[in-house]
Amino acid sequence: MSRRTVLRTAGLAGLGVGLGTSACGRGFGGGDDPEGGTVRLDMVWWGDATRAEKTQAALDIFQRKNPGVTVQVEYQDSGPYKDKLATRFAAGDAPDVMAMRMDSLREYADRGALLDLGQYADAVDLTGLSENARALAAVGDRTYGVPAGLNAIGFVVNRTLTEKYGVAVPDGNTWNWPDLATFAREVTRASGGKVYGTNFEAYTLANVIVFTRQRGEDFYTADGGLGVSEATVADWFGMVESMRAEGGFPPAGFIEKIGASAEQSYLARGSIAAQIIPTNNLLAFNAAAGGNLALLRIPGETQSPRRGQSVDCPHLWSIAAASKHRDEALRLLDFLVNDVEASKASGTTRGVPANSTVADEIKPTLSRDDQVATEYLGGLQREQLPRSYTYPPGSSKIAASLESIAAEVEFRRQTPRQAAKAFVEAGRKALGR
Amino acid sequence: MSTATGAPAGAPVRLASGTPPPAPAARRSRPRKDRAGYLFLLPWFLGMLFTIIPFFASLYLAFTDYNLLNAPRWIGAENFTEMLHDPLLRQSLKVTFVYTFVSVPLSLVVALGVAMLLNRGIRGLAVYRAVFYLPSLLGGSVAVVLLWRYVFGLDGIVNAFLGWFGIDGPGWTSDPDHALTTLIVLHIWTFGSPMVIFLAGLRQIPTMYYEAAAMDGASRWRQFRSVTLPLLSPIIFFNLVQSLITSFQTFTQGFVLSGGTGGPADSTMFYNLYLYQQGFSQFNMGYASAMAWMLLVVIAAFTALNFLAAKYWVFYDN
Repeated sequence: MSRRTVLRTAGLAGLGVGLGTSACGRGFGGGDDPEGGTVRLDMVWWGDATRAEKTQAALDIFQRKNPGVTVQVEYQDSGPYKDKLATRFAAGDAPDVMAMRMDSLREYADRGALLDLGQYADAVDLTGLSENARALAAVGDRTYGVPAGLNAIGFVVNRTLTEKYGVAVPDGNTWNWPDLATFAREVTRASGGKVYGTNFEAYTLANVIVFTRQRGEDFYTADGGLGVSEATVADWFGMVESMRAEGGFPPAGFIEKIGASAEQSYLARGSIAAQIIPTNNLLAFNAAAGGNLALLRIPGETQSPRRGQSVDCPHLWSIAAASKHRDEALRLLDFLVNDVEASKASGTTRGVPANSTVADEIKPTLSRDDQVATEYLGGLQREQLPRSYTYPPGSSKIAASLESIAAEVEFRRQTPRQAAKAFVEAGRKALGR
Repeated sequence: MSTATGAPAGAPVRLASGTPPPAPAARRSRPRKDRAGYLFLLPWFLGMLFTIIPFFASLYLAFTDYNLLNAPRWIGAENFTEMLHDPLLRQSLKVTFVYTFVSVPLSLVVALGVAMLLNRGIRGLAVYRAVFYLPSLLGGSVAVVLLWRYVFGLDGIVNAFLGWFGIDGPGWTSDPDHALTTLIVLHIWTFGSPMVIFLAGLRQIPTMYYEAAAMDGASRWRQFRSVTLPLLSPIIFFNLVQSLITSFQTFTQGFVLSGGTGGPADSTMFYNLYLYQQGFSQFNMGYASAMAWMLLVVIAAFTALNFLAAKYWVFYDN
């Protein structure tokens, strides 16, 4: 066979290779400047179709109230969102208004990419927010965003399953971690192994953070360091592993990360009786799981040295420092936070409205599940909870290493103690200290 | 999705696959034919215009600290020395090498085997060829990787099958000890494009060689070893180079299976996936650029080695 023949034959491969490379998802459209005297605001966020519908409803009201301003929206899943947002900033094409992840806030803010809202107190009124809510986006004495809504994490228990197997649901206000372990073990045993008592992600930062705070430590300290101790991380993994060993927690490898939606969850499929969810997802999870979920607090809140739970937000709204339409962007932010109509239209897809007056006003219009979540959150907001600090730059790396280390423990490649040591070392390195 | 890697690592691939260097003799005698050739290459040249700038930009960025938001800061070779002490980078190299050196030979053997089966003059060849080629088109796609998770899940089809024999199978995609193996199997399944090339190559071997060999009493195995393999060696060589290069750049499989994390426990952390994470999730675009250039060097080294070794086993009859 000659060289020429080889290449001719190989020409076929070009076809195959060309067809093999797949196209990627849609991108953010570039924001454009005034068309016929109107200002076009570029707004990006992540979420699903339901959230899109509700957000658009609110934006329609805004556009009606603000003739001459149109809002161009792009949304997608949270994973690709994060990466695309970074690329867009790098390309000098930052959106005017954007959903900002809590763990990315300082990665942008510390590099001067976001507008300090503290300078524009006249434009965006933040006085309706509780101190804790305002502090969510505070870096030093500056404020780089507004909570798009408030949420917390909570334990949901499927009462249909507990009634079926005759296991009592613990009192959510007073239970502790051993109570959870007992409950989970009983469910698994009573169901003959068809249902596992509980499951939650040992690697999700929000979960670990509550456990850490209960023990009197801050996961991230005020000066942006890693405050969690090796002992705490080891105990956290140890607790999960002992529940797994007793059968209350599913065996290693049982949970596949197929998708994050409520419908795809193991809770909805009836193979898990209880799990941790963000409260703003209660509506979706309850619908998917048959409508009989009870919302409990995280265990250990009353027995531990201090409170672990905190009021958080699914994401912040931030404005790019380089936005060409700063005034309009500020007006939109003010509308989203303080306008009752806006919150009525967008509902609780991003949690309870951050402005407490607005939250109270829309409460009667909410569905039963949303009211439950709102009350749960209102309860937390009235209580004395220790303040939590913003995620320092490098925390996305910490989240990644925690996930990887959790799998090491789950599959018994490392003991909880070894994993804790590895995690704290990696975490300190990621934060550069 | 491959914007980070497309520029530096994509260029050599195209050189290897899409651009036959015109033989000097042909250029002098057939200028018109050459013009047609360049015309066909035009899209590639146009594409090159768009990749050449990022290509050199990434070379510059490789020597900077660049967080995407602030201007790049020159730091010399710091990114490269950092790579020496990065345990996750070592892990990603290990994953990529294991994947490449196991899956490439296996998939070539399977491709050759199927090609030889299809070359025996069966009816409806075009249909079979298409059927076997299909997985290559689908293999890297998101939907199929997700489907494989259902097949290989703890209570998936594979374990249901093993259950009939009393075997308690692991979670093939969630267990860090098995996730990479599953991806390798998935990769072997996409043997279509080397198979099609093998098939074309097999059809160009004159049957008289086999007739002569049979006349001399050569067994089937002997015919395979002494006729098929030597005459097919240029095609094998081409497929080998081609598969190695693509395999080093594997991204999608790891990304989809793990939801972008390279998990479970970094067991599917391909080099390119780690590069992507560094560049786009952790704002270390300078480091990611340095990694891209390192990958280019590794691929170039292996390709060069391949060409050197080719002298000893690849047989051209011209």
